[in-house]
Amino acid sequence: MNEIPLWASESFWKKMAIWVTAGSFLILVVLTMDSLSKTSAGSERVPAYSVINKKIDYQYNKTSHKFMPVIGENELLFGKEFTDEEARQLVDLGKKTTQTKNCMNCHTLLGNGAYYAPDLTKAWLDKGWISKELREDMMVKFLMDPENNARTFGSNRKMPNLKITEQEAKGIIAFLKWMSSIDTNGFPYNFKTINAEE
Amino acid sequence: MNTNGLNKVMENTNAFCKKLLVCRNNFKTWVQLDSSNLSDGQQLSVKYFTVAVILFFAQILFGLLAATQFIYPSFLYEILDFSVNRMIHINAMIIWMLYGFIGCVYWFLEDESGTEIVGLKLGNIAFWVLTSAVTVVVLVYLLVQIGPGKDSSLWFINEGREYIEAPRWADIGIVVVMLIFFYNVVATFSKGKWSGIAGVLTLDLVALAGLYVAGMFYMTNITHEQYWWWWVIHLWVEATWEVLVGVIMAWSLMKLLGVRRKIIQTWLYIEVALMFGSGILGLGHHYFWIGTPEYWLTIGGFFSALEPIPLVAMVVHAVYDSGAHAFKNSNHPALAWIIAQAFGNFFGAGVWGFMHTLPQINMFTHGTQWSASHGHLAFFGAYATINIAFFYLAIQHWRGDVWMGGGSQNAWRWKWALGLLNGGVLGMTIALLIAGYEQSFIERAVEGSTWGGYFTAQNHPSFQSAMNWRLFFGGITFAGFILLVWDLLTIGKGETRKAPEIIES
Amino acid sequence: MIEPVALEDFFITFFSSALIILAGASYALLFAWSKVNPVISIKIAAYISYAVLILSVAELTRAAQFHGYWLIISLVMVIGYFFAPIGIWHLCVKTHTDDLTPTTEEKR
Repeated sequence: MNEIPLWASESFWKKMAIWVTAGSFLILVVLTMDSLSKTSAGSERVPAYSVINKKIDYQYNKTSHKFMPVIGENELLFGKEFTDEEARQLVDLGKKTTQTKNCMNCHTLLGNGAYYAPDLTKAWLDKGWISKELREDMMVKFLMDPENNARTFGSNRKMPNLKITEQEAKGIIAFLKWMSSIDTNGFPYNFKTINAEE
Repeated sequence: MNTNGLNKVMENTNAFCKKLLVCRNNFKTWVQLDSSNLSDGQQLSVKYFTVAVILFFAQILFGLLAATQFIYPSFLYEILDFSVNRMIHINAMIIWMLYGFIGCVYWFLEDESGTEIVGLKLGNIAFWVLTSAVTVVVLVYLLVQIGPGKDSSLWFINEGREYIEAPRWADIGIVVVMLIFFYNVVATFSKGKWSGIAGVLTLDLVALAGLYVAGMFYMTNITHEQYWWWWVIHLWVEATWEVLVGVIMAWSLMKLLGVRRKIIQTWLYIEVALMFGSGILGLGHHYFWIGTPEYWLTIGGFFSALEPIPLVAMVVHAVYDSGAHAFKNSNHPALAWIIAQAFGNFFGAGVWGFMHTLPQINMFTHGTQWSASHGHLAFFGAYATINIAFFYLAIQHWRGDVWMGGGSQNAWRWKWALGLLNGGVLGMTIALLIAGYEQSFIERAVEGSTWGGYFTAQNHPSFQSAMNWRLFFGGITFAGFILLVWDLLTIGKGETRKAPEIIES
Repeated sequence: MIEPVALEDFFITFFSSALIILAGASYALLFAWSKVNPVISIKIAAYISYAVLILSVAELTRAAQFHGYWLIISLVMVIGYFFAPIGIWHLCVKTHTDDLTPTTEEKR
């Protein structure tokens, strides 16, 4: 009764703590390398930035049993075909702008952020932009002057004017279009896109 | 003319400074704290605690502003927008808790190592550097707020990534300060003596500083960016912080209840194994929907089911110990806050976490007020409580180890502060839970997460009344905070009975 | 592969998940208490808690539409939450053996 068995000894648990931590961390590192390679821009799950030249939709896929992005024919953004490099630059400007304007502390991106304003994951595909013909123009105007083009949906919540330039606004739109093409394992569920028939 | 004006300004500043000095002296005579009761390291640690309390105040203040904007969206519109208030709300939280932890470590560093702190001067400089950096960052958040979409904005204004918004110059500063802190810990233990607690603490600080670096880079690819971002946030909050609290608790239990070192250290190792074993891969529950492969759904689900195991271990051990140790405690407020920690951690992290973490349901709760509900209870329950408990231990020692057990005068203050703070946070949690439930139902499931669906849910009467209740309970929390500060400054004043010394059993 | 929870099962999903943790903890608590204070009614209460846990796991398994390898998680919860408190109790006893504090038997 007075003998401490090995499995209850300090030295055993010291080793255990080290091995469990090191083992978990090693698994995490391996998974991280795998995940990063499977989600680099241009992979199956995260399309190349030049996807902004294409039509993007989001539909239920019966075989993989989840909602998935569907990339279609050419559908140019701002009436221009971007090269790979131009597309990357534009998306980069947009992504950077979403950070420097602190979008994430009102909105969520891929569901992460604050909950004061709607999710931006599929914002490009949202029915709130009424029709595909009006969408780009509406988005630019809204981003540059959200007060006078407010989209409050009866909530009185207005986006503040963040002094976004036209080029930055276009960048944000390219970024949003690209982001809507990421395979997010079916999140958000049951989302009806602007392409869907009423 | 010009020199005259300048002179006047100088005079005014002088008068102001004098007034400030008088105020400071009056305050000092009022609180009657005798710093000769503290060791050098402890004098540094109470500086950290002081700033921690001030930042705690900022957290609550900006939380209240943001909560008000949910009800009156035009309140401070385009002056201090929701994004600014919310950013300061969560940043102040992260930073005050870190200040608290650093303070705790400096508090017991000399005692645990058996020698004086090697780089005390450096530690003091680091404190002032960190505090001025935090001040500058907050001022820039308040006054500049946002910048153009350029790298320079990321470097000097705001990185725009929830929880770690601090601009890059501050990131580097934080890493430098953490390295100085790390040096102090390692060098002091090396000069004095190492122990199991010292070893765990050192390795944990390596992880803490190293992980922060993972979150310092800009990436165009948002999937990669959020991947690393969660490394920092999750592995800090659900792994390294937990272990840090374990270390602080281990030392406190040894000193407070006289538990033997061997037992304490064995259990610290057990906790580390359980927490890192479930927590590191528990990271998977943040990788469900950010573009990462499907295997994370399984990993995240599995390890989320395991994450309550350390909590079960604590329950069993607490019962065992309650039989083994007769509680003769001379610091009732500290003990009460440690009990609050046990419950808060269990409900906030355990129950609230598991309720919405499995991917089958997280599909609908992700990115709703569910997360806010869980976040409020879990952060408060797991980390605010333990810091407050330590503040009481520190103030007891600062007063010269006076009795703070049963029959103390003005005990109603700490009791009411405890009740109001816990009741306030619990009330906010439940209000946000109702809002989150409604949101996951209407916005997510029925309306398929469109913008229209989002606002339908936001405009729903149950959501709006939940937001009113949240603000109300935020006010309760604030009242509790005010009382807490008053109590911390006055408790033990005029108490003559000494606390009995506790000897290791 | 996952099957998202159906709308009508939202509440039961939240409820049963919360109940799993609560029942698991109260089983652990009562189990430990029955060791400190060996009264049969406490032991029975502990097993009732565990029964609640099994029912909650079963209900969650249905509501969250677990199938295939997801059933392993249900199994792990049922087995793990049963044995974890027992194992941890033994650890408590053994790590404290050369402690001055009384063991279970002495306490009686």
